[in-house]
Amino acid sequence: MAAGVIPPCQAACPILTDVRGYVSAIARNRPEEAIQIVRRVNPFPSVCGRICTRQCQTRCRRGQIDEPISIAALKRFAADTQGNADIVSAARHIYKERIAVVGSGPSGLAAAHDLAILGYKVTVFEARSVLGGLLSEGIPEYRLPRDVVQEEIRRVLSLGIEAKAGQSLGRDFSVEGLMKEYQAVFIALGSQKSLLPKCRGIGMKGILSGVEFLKQVSRGQVSSIGSSVVVIGGGHTAIDAARTSIRLGAGEVTLVYRRTLREMPARSEVMEAEKEGVKFMFLASPVVFEGNQRIEKVRCVKMCLGEPDDSGRCRPTPVDNSEFEIDADTIILAIGYAPDAETLKDSGLVLNRDGTVIANSITGITNLEGVFAAGDVVSGPLSVIDAIASGKRVAMAIHRYLRGFPQKQDEVIPVLSPLDAKTSGLIGKTSREEMPKLPVIERIHSFAEVELGYTTEQAIREAQRCLNCGSGAAVDDKCAACLNCVRICPYGIPEPGKERAEIDINQCQACGICASECPASAIQLQLDTPEAFHAQLADIINVSLQGNPEMLIVGFYCLYGSMSMPPNDSEGIFWLGKPCTGRLNEFQLIAPFEYGADGVAVHVCRDGECRFRAGQQWAARHVERARKILDNTGIGGERLCVFDSGECIPDFKNRLYAFGMNPIRKGRQVNL
Amino acid sequence: MIVAEMKPFEEIKEMLGGYSRVLVLGCGSCVTVCLSGGERQSELLASALRMARKIEGNIGEIAQKTILRQCDPEFISQIRNEILQCDAVLSMACGVGVQSLVREFREMPVLPAMNTRFMGMTDGKGTWQEACSGCGECVLAMTGGICPVTTCPKGILNGPCGGNKDGWCEVTPELQCAWVRIYERLKLLNRLDDFKYTIKAKDWTKKQRPGIYRAEK
Repeated sequence: MAAGVIPPCQAACPILTDVRGYVSAIARNRPEEAIQIVRRVNPFPSVCGRICTRQCQTRCRRGQIDEPISIAALKRFAADTQGNADIVSAARHIYKERIAVVGSGPSGLAAAHDLAILGYKVTVFEARSVLGGLLSEGIPEYRLPRDVVQEEIRRVLSLGIEAKAGQSLGRDFSVEGLMKEYQAVFIALGSQKSLLPKCRGIGMKGILSGVEFLKQVSRGQVSSIGSSVVVIGGGHTAIDAARTSIRLGAGEVTLVYRRTLREMPARSEVMEAEKEGVKFMFLASPVVFEGNQRIEKVRCVKMCLGEPDDSGRCRPTPVDNSEFEIDADTIILAIGYAPDAETLKDSGLVLNRDGTVIANSITGITNLEGVFAAGDVVSGPLSVIDAIASGKRVAMAIHRYLRGFPQKQDEVIPVLSPLDAKTSGLIGKTSREEMPKLPVIERIHSFAEVELGYTTEQAIREAQRCLNCGSGAAVDDKCAACLNCVRICPYGIPEPGKERAEIDINQCQACGICASECPASAIQLQLDTPEAFHAQLADIINVSLQGNPEMLIVGFYCLYGSMSMPPNDSEGIFWLGKPCTGRLNEFQLIAPFEYGADGVAVHVCRDGECRFRAGQQWAARHVERARKILDNTGIGGERLCVFDSGECIPDFKNRLYAFGMNPIRKGRQVNL
Repeated sequence: MIVAEMKPFEEIKEMLGGYSRVLVLGCGSCVTVCLSGGERQSELLASALRMARKIEGNIGEIAQKTILRQCDPEFISQIRNEILQCDAVLSMACGVGVQSLVREFREMPVLPAMNTRFMGMTDGKGTWQEACSGCGECVLAMTGGICPVTTCPKGILNGPCGGNKDGWCEVTPELQCAWVRIYERLKLLNRLDDFKYTIKAKDWTKKQRPGIYRAEK
């Protein structure tokens, strides 16, 4: 593999999470390994597993064949089921410098997390009494339960980070003051001031801002909302407000959005909102709010879409003489938000006209020496994962600043290209695992979490859909250019190069058939090295020989077969999973016998069930050849058997008992 | 390319009878390409020998190594130390490789694991066919690029012999008659006139053994 080429899912993630790595761990039924991979870079896996915008999924190459992998749902599975795994150890304060982080949203806490791991003493200031910023108060519980957020925050703080809640910039302390005590300051205030439409009547009672409304609900300050609610906007806050209104008992909830479903930022949530009773009115925009001190109705105008604007979406324009009215007891405005310029007025930071701080988009460096800013307060509202990414970048920038290292430039990382039509046409279609959800009737009367998370079985099945892009075969310099791989690859990927066979990492599906058939042992598979295989095998046999068993049977099974599990009825067999049994070469099949095993069972997938292309036929062929070798040695080929059903295994065991022990083992101490 | 096949396991085992420490030495060139004596096959053979020896109670050591080409002394010298530590080398190269090892290590027993078969070409499906006899006086220009010396079992220089049945060889019935193939090919090339010329008897002194070739004369 060309150095540093990463899969598109990883490239799409703002923090470059090794998606392939953790999805593949789940596919192998190793969620503890998965969560380690995620937590290495992301302090909020449970949060992101629920509410991430999933830029990775839009780039997933499985999407070229059927549907992208449900990556976020898998991350959530790993995080939820491995809650107690301690991944990141408590930091030692190896540097004397202290760092202040102002704002405890995802950006601030991500920076605090990384700085603490680097060895700095960090203090986080939060204006409100609860940490977490919008995570704690801006997203309703049915999407992101509070205890999930608090648990992840607790984990971050456990790295030795000091938190000062109820301390507000501008009121309780100033940037200048912080600079006297701290050697670097990170401003991560977020952007929580609602933008308001320019309509008459906006000051009336019963007109709320989306973020404020959600915060009040989360604090338990809103118990009822009236019978007809109109929400204005098309983002996640708008839908959150609409679905929250349903839960508060509103009879009629209408979401008014000026563009169409296609342009809607939160369109993924529309279907669930509709099921719960939210009505959607697209291509409409409010003009006047009417009522007598208290809102009674909103006058809207119909819109049509024109040429694309700066955001690439079609610009909506009003249709003449198309005004109409909607009755409303409550209006919730969620058309967007911006940073609160008031807070930073006297900070000395240079601001844009919209209140955002002017800062370097990578390093967060501002006009003030030692003061960094990032997250929504710089970029305007973005997603949680973008906020986390910005915090992580600033953490590195602060570290470089304090240590006197030059700041890093933005780097371009090479990414795998899409699958060719020829390759994608040869890959079997699979359907995505449905996320289990709370029944609608139970949802609309409570704030219980709607998405219930995958079961273990579902998570494994979904993870097994991953194509492991870029983890395929690489040819080393032992290649004799025999071109065997070119001739046998089930996907037709290898090609004769100038000096040796060449395998395009962009297209290789990592079935491993070429590696198993390479006469020079010159083809290496990224996630399955021969050294690891022999170490694993020696391990298994060591363990089982300790019990001095009457019969020592090693079994191989397909990790992509049913549930990544060995077959039933196979007690007393020491199983080793392989990503397709077709890749087991003859040497690997006879190796257990040399170590002392009495029998080897190869459990293959049934015809038509191979995740690749007929791996079971290759397995059978390799077994046939290995049996001849075993016959030659005097061990006997019949000790090696291939099955496609667990039912045959008891028969096999009986036969082995009849053969007796492997003559290598008989009466001799086996040296591994 | 030189095509070789592994000897029967029993024969190899017996050959090694008197030697305790044996190095199974694969060759990374021709025999790798014809899937018989490369790294994978030498790993397999070494493992099989170790197992067979253990069963027979023969305590010894079977090591395994593969070098790029056994017919070049420079590659052989890369593993000089490994070779000096063993009692015998079991070469998985063609006969050339075996003798090349012998030339470098006069006091070391070097044994052939392979039967060297011929110079041949592949059909891409794991089968190789002899195509050249190395006669030293190539006639392919006159025979449509098909060698009658090698691919006709009788080696007839001016054929066909008249024994072919419907275009198939009377000696090896599963083979097409070489001279029928030559005729078809010349016809395709519009050079059937070449058939009118008789190829002169070959000068077999060119094939006098052992052949020696000097790049600069």
